Amino acid sequence: MQAFQQNLSKLEAADTQVLGVSMDSPFSNKAWAQQIGVTFPLLSDWGGDVTKEYGLYNPKYKAARRATFVIDKDGKVAEITLDKDAVDPTKTIDACQARKLKH
Amino acid sequence: MKQAFLVALLAANLIPALSAADQPAAPPQPTVKVGDVAPNFTLQDQNGNNVSLEQFKGKKNIALAFYVFAFTGG
Repeated sequence: MQAFQQNLSKLEAADTQVLGVSMDSPFSNKAWAQQIGVTFPLLSDWGGDVTKEYGLYNPKYKAARRATFVIDKDGKVAEITLDKDAVDPTKTIDACQARKLKH
Repeated sequence: MKQAFLVALLAANLIPALSAADQPAAPPQPTVKVGDVAPNFTLQDQNGNNVSLEQFKGKKNIALAFYVFAFTGG
């Protein structure tokens, strides 16, 4: 999430809202957001319903797989990155910038 | 001769099954695909606000970043 925070102005300039999601509690997310200076929403999928709906629940860790979805303004999934590719926001930024030009 | 062939055939069938059992569990694969409408949700953020995907429709792109645990990298 730190890398997304560092690139937040680029993403916002591309008409993009960043949303982090994990199965942590809102209290954990609040403490962590304060510690690392995240200003965008960190959403609590306590129980994992959304994580499971997106097919990302890993029973081994009882947590989500690292994944970033770019969703366009029509609500459709435009790009999916996984694991290390999802940690680095470069592809996400490119996809969002491409979608700014179209609108 | 025929029996030996059958034994070899059986063994060949068993080998992939045995090696597959040694592999760690495969990571989960996203069931939401490129081009799909992203399933809506409403979840609570770190400040107690409810946030849903739908509220940004027609207004903004979304970078929806699933992370493994708070207090870790990534």
